[in-house]
Amino acid sequence: MSAIINDFTINIATANGTGSQSANLILLQSLFEMGVPVSGKNLFPSNISGLPTWYIVRLSDKGYQAPGDRTHIQVLVNPATWDEDLAALEPGSVVIWNSDTKGKTVERDDIVSYPVPMSSLARKINPKIAKLVTNIVYVGVLAELLGIDQTCLESAVAKQFKGKATAIELNITALGLGRGFCNEELTKADPYAVEKRAVTKPQFFIEGNEAAALGAHYGGVQLLAWYPITPSSSLAEGVINYIPRLRTDDDGKANMAVIQAEDELAAAGMVLGAGWAGGRGMTATSGPGISLMQEFIGLAYFAEIPSVFWDVTRVGPSTGLPTRTQQSDIAMLYEGSHGDTQHIVLIPGTVEECFEYGWRAFDYAERFQTPVFGMSDLDLGMNRWACEGFTYPDQPMDRGKVVREQDVFDAFETFGRYLDVDGDGIPYRTLPGSGMAPILYRGTGHNPMGVYSEKPEDYFNLMQRLRMKIDRARDELPAPILREEEECEVGIVFLGSMENSIQEIDDILEETGLKVSQCRVRALPFHAEVEAFVRRHETVIVLEINRDGQLYGILRRELPNDLVTKVHSVAYSDGMPPRARIYAERILATLEEVKQ
Amino acid sequence: MSEKPARAIKLNVINEPKDSYTGGPSSLCPGCGHDQISSVIINAAWENGIEPHRIAKMSGIGCSSKTPAYYLGQSHGFNTVHGRMPSVTTGAYAINKDLLYLGVSGDGDSASIGIGQLIHAIRRNMDMVYVIENNGVYGLTKGQYSATADVGSKKKKGPANETQPIDLCALAINLGCTFVARSFSGSKKQLTSLLKAAMSHKGFALIDVISPCVTFNNNDESMRSYSYVKENEVTLHMADYIPHFNPVEEIEVPEGHFKDITLHDGSTIRLETISEEHDPGDAMAALTALHGAETGGKHVTGLLYFDATKPSLAEDLGLVDGALLDVPDEVLRPSQASLDALNAEFLA
Repeated sequence: MSAIINDFTINIATANGTGSQSANLILLQSLFEMGVPVSGKNLFPSNISGLPTWYIVRLSDKGYQAPGDRTHIQVLVNPATWDEDLAALEPGSVVIWNSDTKGKTVERDDIVSYPVPMSSLARKINPKIAKLVTNIVYVGVLAELLGIDQTCLESAVAKQFKGKATAIELNITALGLGRGFCNEELTKADPYAVEKRAVTKPQFFIEGNEAAALGAHYGGVQLLAWYPITPSSSLAEGVINYIPRLRTDDDGKANMAVIQAEDELAAAGMVLGAGWAGGRGMTATSGPGISLMQEFIGLAYFAEIPSVFWDVTRVGPSTGLPTRTQQSDIAMLYEGSHGDTQHIVLIPGTVEECFEYGWRAFDYAERFQTPVFGMSDLDLGMNRWACEGFTYPDQPMDRGKVVREQDVFDAFETFGRYLDVDGDGIPYRTLPGSGMAPILYRGTGHNPMGVYSEKPEDYFNLMQRLRMKIDRARDELPAPILREEEECEVGIVFLGSMENSIQEIDDILEETGLKVSQCRVRALPFHAEVEAFVRRHETVIVLEINRDGQLYGILRRELPNDLVTKVHSVAYSDGMPPRARIYAERILATLEEVKQ
Repeated sequence: MSEKPARAIKLNVINEPKDSYTGGPSSLCPGCGHDQISSVIINAAWENGIEPHRIAKMSGIGCSSKTPAYYLGQSHGFNTVHGRMPSVTTGAYAINKDLLYLGVSGDGDSASIGIGQLIHAIRRNMDMVYVIENNGVYGLTKGQYSATADVGSKKKKGPANETQPIDLCALAINLGCTFVARSFSGSKKQLTSLLKAAMSHKGFALIDVISPCVTFNNNDESMRSYSYVKENEVTLHMADYIPHFNPVEEIEVPEGHFKDITLHDGSTIRLETISEEHDPGDAMAALTALHGAETGGKHVTGLLYFDATKPSLAEDLGLVDGALLDVPDEVLRPSQASLDALNAEFLA
C-alpha cells in the first residue's frame, strides 16, 4: 500500500451546536501551520442546535480549494446522518466513528473502520462537558493516524482559544487522549498521511467577511446600518469588532456610527441619509435584504446618492437555503429597483479583494455618486481562506465632486445639482448645512437645477446622462484577471468565489486534452477587456453558480451582435460550494453540443 | 426733494428677514390645512432665530411630504420614499448631528406604510422634529381612508369608515416618546408655540397636527373637517414659547395658573392650563386625556407628554464631539502602521 500524502478529503459529520466548529477549525489550522495547502468548508444548517452539520477538509498539494469529488476519511459522530453518510462512502474509504453511539455501528467490510469510544474518553476529562470534548477527541485520533505535528496542533489550539488558559489545557489533554487511544488500540490500515511542506510565503487564514469589514474601515466608513442576516452578519460584526482598535480616540469616542436597523429597508434608508449628508455609509446584507432595499436603491441611483451595499449571497429564491452558497443576485444587483437602472457591482474572488473592494467601494460611490455593491457569497464570506496580508490603499480617499468651500462655489457660472458641467455625466454637489445651492432632493423627475420637472426633454436627458455616467465607469473599475495562452480556442468567463475551483476545473479539462483561457470578471458593468477576451476566442463559456446563467444573460445583451453567438452558458447550482468535476463535465458537454 | 424713508424690514435675532425662511409657491389645493402648517413652520424657524441653512427638511411621500418645497428655501431637503423618512433622517443625523432635522409626514406615511420606521425613530429618541399633517385621508391618490380616520367618519364619497383608528399620540406616549403634542392647523398661535418648543427639544418631538383635507375629507360628517374640529377641539394647554435668546421680549406672562418646563437648550416652555390641570410629565394623565377626548368624540390639543431625562440617539452612539462630517479623511482612514500591525498579528 503506497502512501497518499496531502491529497485527500476528510468529512466530519456532527450535530449543530455541539462545539464541533472549534474542533474542526483546530484541525484546519494545524494542517495549515504544517504548510499543507488545505481548505475547509462548513456545511451548516439554518439552526442553532441539533440539526446535522458537515465540515469538509480538503488537503491538496496542488492547492485545490473546492470540496473534492469524494470523501476519503469520514468521521461519524452524528447518529442522525450516520447511515446515509456511511452508505455514501466509496470502497476503500476510512471511517472513524464514535463507538459509544447508541444503536449505531459500522458494518462494511469494504472500508477501513476505526471505532473510537469518543464519549467515554471525553467523560474521563469532564463528564459535564463530554459532548464538547468528544469533538476534540476525534481531532486527536486524526492527528495520530495522519501524522499531524504536535507543535502545530498546540499552536492551533492556542490560536482558537486566544489566551484562555483553561480551555487550552483542556483541549490539549483531550487531543492527547485521542492520540493515546489511537496508539494503543488501533492499527493503521489506511494509506493517508500528511507531510510538512516548506512555506515559501507566510500566510494566515481569514474569512472573506472579516476581510471586507477591515477594508471598510480602511475606506473610512462613517456609518454602518445593518440588519442581521446569514451569511452577512459576520461582515457587519467584523466592522463593529474593529471599531475600538481602529476608529476610537483616546477618550473612547468613535469616529464612525453603527445602527442596528429595524429591517433592511431602514438600513438602506440610513445608508442613503449618510450619503446625502456627505458621509460614507454602508450596509451588509444578503439576497432577501437586497430584495427589500430595492426601492431605496432606485432612489440612490436617480437622486445620485453615494451609498455602499454588501451582498453576501446565499441560495434563493425566497428564504431558499439560507446557509448554502450561490451566485444568484447578479442580475438583481446590476439592475436593482424598478425603472431603467444600472449599478456598479464589485465582485471579489479572494479575501485580498474583499479587503480591497471594502475600501474602494466608497471611492467609487462618491466618485460616481451612485450606489455601489460588493458581491461576495457565503463560501467566500464565511469560510477561511489563505491570505498573504492586506495592502494599504495606494491612493487618498476619493470624495468625488463635492463643493465644500464658498470660493470654489462662487467660481461656478451656474450651479445646478444635476448640471453636467464637465461632460462626464457626473454633476457637482453641495452638502446639507453648507448653505450653498440648497435643493430639495427627490425621487421624482427633476431638471439639471434639481427642480421638479415632468418635461419630456428633462426626463430623457437625465436618463441619458445617468446611463453615460455608469457606462464611463466601466474602465475605471477593477479589470478582469486574465489567464490566457494565445493558442487557446476556448475561453472561460467566470466570477467571484469560482476562483477557488477554477484551477481544478482547468486541470480536469486539460486531462481531456482541452486547454482553455480564463477571464475572471471583477466588476460590472463589464470592463472593455471582457469584450476583447471574447473576441480573441472561438468559443466562450460563462461559468457561474446559479440556474439561469445571469452573468451570461448580461454579457449576451451587452456584446456586439457578431460576438453573441460565440458565448455559451454553463450554470449549475445545488447549494454546495462548486465541485470542480461537475462544472468541468458540464463545460465538456456544452462544447460538444456547440460542435454539433 | 424728500425721499420716503424705506420701511424697516423686521429682522429676527440673527438679523434675518422672514423672507429668508420662505419657500416656493404651493401646489396643494387652495385652502389646504398643510399650507397653514407651512406658514407656521416659516414663522417658528424665523422667530427661533435658527440659521435657515442649518435646518434639514425631511419628508416621505404624499401631500404633506410635498410641502418642504414651500418653506425654508435656503435649507437642503430630502423628499425620500413613502414612509421611510425616519431612516434617511437617522442616517443623515449620524453623519451631521449639528443640523436641525425637521421632518414632515402625513397619516398615510406615518400610520400605515411607515409606522415601523416612526416607531423605531421614537425608540432611538432620534433628535428631530416630526410633524404629522393628519387628515385621515390619502389625498394624492384621491381620497382613500387612512389608518387615522375615526370610526364613523364619512368622507365625500363612499361608505363611512368602520375600522379602528390609530392614535399616533397615544402610540408615541406608550413608546416613551420624549415630546408628544397635538394641535390643529387652524390654531396658529398654539401650533407656533409647540413647534418652537419642539425645535428646542433634544430628542424625538412628535406633533400630530389635525390638518383637514379640503378636497376629500371636509364635509360636515367628517370628524376632521374644519367645522367639526373648530366646534369640538378641546384645548388642553395654551402653550407659550419663551425663546432662549431673548426670554423677556417675546412673552407676556399670563394671569392664572401656569407651568414652566425647561428644555435641553435652556429655553423654557410655559404651559397655561385652560380647562384642567395637566402635568405633561405624567404619561397616564396624557393617555387618560387622549382617551377621554376620543370617547367624547373630541380632539385634545396641547403638549401632552414631555420627558427631558432620556438620552437622545447622539449620546447613545458614543461618537466624537462635533459632526462626523467634519472628521478629516486622514483620521477616518486608519494609519498604514495600524494595518502593518494587523498583518503581523495575523501572521504570528
